[in-house]
This record gives sequence, structure tokens and C-alpha cells, in this order.
Amino acid sequence: MTALTAPDSSPDAPRAASPCATSSCVASDAPLVLALPKGRILKALGPVLERTGLFHDGSAIGEGTRSLRFPTQDPQVDVVRVRSFDVATFVAHGGAQIGVCGADVLMEFDYPDIYAPLDLGIGGCRISIARPVDARHEETAVASSHIRVATKYPTITRRHFATQGINAEIVHLHGAMELAPTLDMASIIVDLVDTGSTLKANGLRETEVIAHVTSRLIVNRVALKTRPEAIRALIERFRDALQEKAA
Amino acid sequence: MRLTEEPGTALLPSGFIDLLQHEAEAEARGIEAVMDVFAGHGYERVRPPLLEFETSLLHGAGQALEEQTFRLMDPESRRMMALRPDMTTQIARIAATRLAGSPRPLRLSYAGSCILVGTQGRETERQISQAGIELIGIDSIEADTEIVLIAAEALRTLGIESFSFDLSCPALVQGLVDLSGYTGARRAQLVHALDRKDMAAVAELGGPVAAILTALVEACGPADTALPILEGLSLPPRIREIADRLIAVVRALGDRDPSLRLTVDPVEFRGWQYHTGVCMTVFAVGQREELGRGGRYLAQGDEPACGLTFRPEILLRAARPITLKPRVYIAAEVADAAGPARLRRDGYATVAGLAPVDDLAAEARRLKCRFVFVADELITL
Repeated sequence: MTALTAPDSSPDAPRAASPCATSSCVASDAPLVLALPKGRILKALGPVLERTGLFHDGSAIGEGTRSLRFPTQDPQVDVVRVRSFDVATFVAHGGAQIGVCGADVLMEFDYPDIYAPLDLGIGGCRISIARPVDARHEETAVASSHIRVATKYPTITRRHFATQGINAEIVHLHGAMELAPTLDMASIIVDLVDTGSTLKANGLRETEVIAHVTSRLIVNRVALKTRPEAIRALIERFRDALQEKAA
Repeated sequence: MRLTEEPGTALLPSGFIDLLQHEAEAEARGIEAVMDVFAGHGYERVRPPLLEFETSLLHGAGQALEEQTFRLMDPESRRMMALRPDMTTQIARIAATRLAGSPRPLRLSYAGSCILVGTQGRETERQISQAGIELIGIDSIEADTEIVLIAAEALRTLGIESFSFDLSCPALVQGLVDLSGYTGARRAQLVHALDRKDMAAVAELGGPVAAILTALVEACGPADTALPILEGLSLPPRIREIADRLIAVVRALGDRDPSLRLTVDPVEFRGWQYHTGVCMTVFAVGQREELGRGGRYLAQGDEPACGLTFRPEILLRAARPITLKPRVYIAAEVADAAGPARLRRDGYATVAGLAPVDDLAAEARRLKCRFVFVADELITL
């Protein structure tokens, strides 16, 4: 507990063992931290970020710096650039108060501490089941009580197959899922599909869509409750930026 | 580290921690300070047991606790017993049974430990402390505000300044979801989307009530902006009634204590799910967890009640640091007990030397003392 200080400075007094040592313990006037995902989503997000006025050049966010945290045009907003799966974790644990991440990541983690107040409508794609083009008919899989699936979405996959009465055995990979069926590690994969060209190139075909996903603006629940004005103002900036695009 | 290494004996089950010297002291003092404030407002302390029969603990409003409850078998009666995950329902039971004849409104307070199964991502907290109050037998705006104002006084007593109360009313959302006509999985999906304020999903799943629900989510925020929005919404009559009560309580609080930071979230319904009226959640800037929560519910026999429970562990992270008693090393040669007794009266902690030592100062420092008492004299090190 950080609330503790011994009157003497004895070196072996119990030190704070509190999770509050994180950056969530920020004063009410500290800059908000916005977590942005690297890669595909960030590219699509660039123009939106320019219109929010946070960046002059949305295509060069964080370029030219090795630092993982950097300022924006708004002194009250800092940006951290992390892996797309980690955006949700940064926001859920209060390291970042606001972030942008795919609905796929939200579905996978389902953090109770994350609100998703705004659909950014970018980065549209789908979480799908794909199997080898030459696989036997799908009915065989439905009839069985067990299936081996290669995926980076273990929770979504288990939940999806459980509703069909099938136990999904997960081969948890972080990339190159498409190799798993041909190398006989799994009979199918569950992955994010955009154009489907990677599937095709690896002898797979999309057989079922589990969910359509887009990117969301997410906020930390406690941050929204304790700094409502600042967070809502930032949400409004994104909303206006989206409307400007639509207009 | 070798992969085959056994965990040490210091390893505790996930979610359970040892509080060490200063931490345990701070917790005990913090709870006492809060309980003193409660007592000052006429709330009398009761102490229900840790374990109860499952059938009575999870009776009525307690049903909502089922998923969070550890159970064990009573070898005597062979009945299933449950470790309490929350004390509010126990207080409600006491009020309805043993204290059924006590005059209303009944004001009770309590403090103690609870054991939770825990939720994903929150495995670190399975033994929690609670300290709270219940105001039983009355349903009024004044009763709701009394609970919040006493809680605010307790927070200030602990030196917590940057706190805020988030006011909500779960019945509002439940009523609207009922109006949607959805049942089963569709309803569950909508409720989940509302809980996560996933606006895309609310718009998609809300059907006939999507527009109202979206407008309610938009109303969330500081009381002075939220109330006018909430007042201006056109709501079905039954829902309007619930919303008006929420508005009335927030206004009354603002009148009674204009310095209170109040936020309103008409779509908040998180918690134990037994609440029926206005609910409040306590937050503090810089704390990523709720400091406490409470609200209006129906106790056994549908008796109206309102209460609030603090989480002392979280309170203390936000609280003013405690000052510990300065420690005095009493040399073993001191024969007269009157000297040390006088020091204790003056607020020192005395640490008795059990055997004569050569270097008093070194021994005192080793035992974390800043003073030495020898030959009727207090020496500062």
C-alpha cells in the first residue's frame, strides 16, 4: 500500500506492494495516454488522427523515434504505440486511458474494464474459419465432438465451438496460422480475414464467418468515471473527425 | 530457475496475501476510522459469521452471489456451507430475523473479511475486506442521500480528497431491456453490450429501444451535464419514474454538499445485481479500482434498504499515510516499569531489551528504534 510511510527510514520497512505503482495512478492534470496499435489498423487510422488534430502527418506516427511513448500536438495527450493485442491490455489495466483496437481483440479478452463507445468503422475484416480446399465435407466436423484448431484467438474459438457442442483443442499460434492444416498440426484455423488472398495462397478456403469486426475507440472505465470531461472531449474529437470524413 | 523447481512455502493460493507490519496496522486503523464515522451517525455495529449455511446465505437477494461463493461441507450437520463473498445480504438477514422487532429505520454498520471466487483478470483479490453501513426500513430520497453523505465524510476523514460518486440506477436499464421484448441469448448479448458500453453492438442489438439506450449512454458524465440530458429524454412512464428518482437524489446531494464530485451513469448496472433503486460507486482520481459501492435494494420480506460498502484495501491506497508510534529501545538494566509506562502513555512504542548488551545504540537501531531509554533518560539516536 503506497499510503504507508514509516516515521523512521528503516531500510527494511515493508515497501509498497501495491499495483498502484502503475502509471494509472496519474493526477487529474496528467496527460491522457492514447494507445495505438502498430500495423494494419494504424495505417487506416492515419487520416482520422490527422483530422482530430493530434498529428500533422498521420502516416508517420512515431517514426524517427525509438521511444515507445511520444507527444502529440495536444500537450494533454501522449501516445504509446504497442501491438494490437496489447492495446486492450494497456487500456484495461489503466496504463493508457484511451486506445484504438479491433473488435476481435475486445471479443477475445472481454475485459470488464474497457468501454467501447465509438465504432471507428475502419480496419473492417472478419474472424473466420478456414480449412484446406481439399478437406472432406464440413458435415464430418460438425458431427464430431472434438476438433483441433490453430488460432491466435483461443477464447473466441473455444466459445464458438462450445455453442455447437464441440470441444475445440487449441494450437495457439501468433502468426502463420495458414501453415497449420497443411503441416497437419490442426484440421482448421480461425483467423482474421481481410481479402482472403493469404488463405488462397496456402490452399485454404473460408467456410464460416464467426464475426465481422471493425476498429473501436476504447476507454478505461475508471478513467471515464474519474476524468469524464477530458475523456469525453477526446471521444468527441474522434467522432467529429469521423463525421468530417463522411461529409 | 529450473523448470522442475517446487514452489516455496511462502507461496500463497492466488488471490491471498500476507499483510505485513505497517500494512496490517494501516488497514486496522483505516477500518476503525471509517467505523467511527459510521458510529457517529448512529450506525450500530454488528458482526455476522464468516460461514453460513448455503441455503440462508444465498437466499433471496443473496442468489446474485452464487457464482462468487466458495462452499464447503459441514461435517457435523452434513449440510453445505458457504463462505460469505459479501456482507450486505447477511445484514439484511439479521435485520429481517433477529432484529425484526427493532425500531425502523434501523441503522447498522459492519466490517470484516469476505472470500470471493474471483473473476478473470482480478485473481489478485479473493480475500477482501468490507466496511459498510445499511439503512433499513425506509425508502426515501433523504435515506439515499444520508448514505452518500456519510460515506463522503468517511472518505474525508481518511484524507482522501479526489473522490467522486457515480450515481446510477440498474432498474432503468433492466426496465428498458425488458421493453425490448428480447429473451434468452439475444437479451444476454444486449445486456453485455450495455455493460461494456459497446455502442456499435447496442445500436445493432437494441431493436426498439436502441435509440433510448444510446441516448442514455450519451448522458453519462458529470452531474451538471448529465441531468439536463436525462430530464429532456422522452421515456416510457415507468422508466421516467425511475429516472426522476435518480435525478432527485443527485439534485438533493448537490444541494446538501455542493463540493461533492458527482457523475451520473444511467446505464451502469454492474455489481451484485440485487439492487433495485439508486446505486452509487465510489471512485478516486488515480485509483484504478472502485473504493466502494452501494445502493438501494429490497431486504428480506421486501423491506426497503439502502447501504454502502467500502473496500478498505483500496481506500488505504488513496488515504493519507498513517504515522506509526516512534519506537524506544528500553535497556535491560531499567528495573522500574514506571518509566516505560510513561513513555507508552506519551505515544511511544517501547521495545524491551531482554538481556544486557554492550552497544545499546547499535542494538536499538537493529530493532528499528529511534530512541534508547536508559537510566531514566530518553536518548535520541
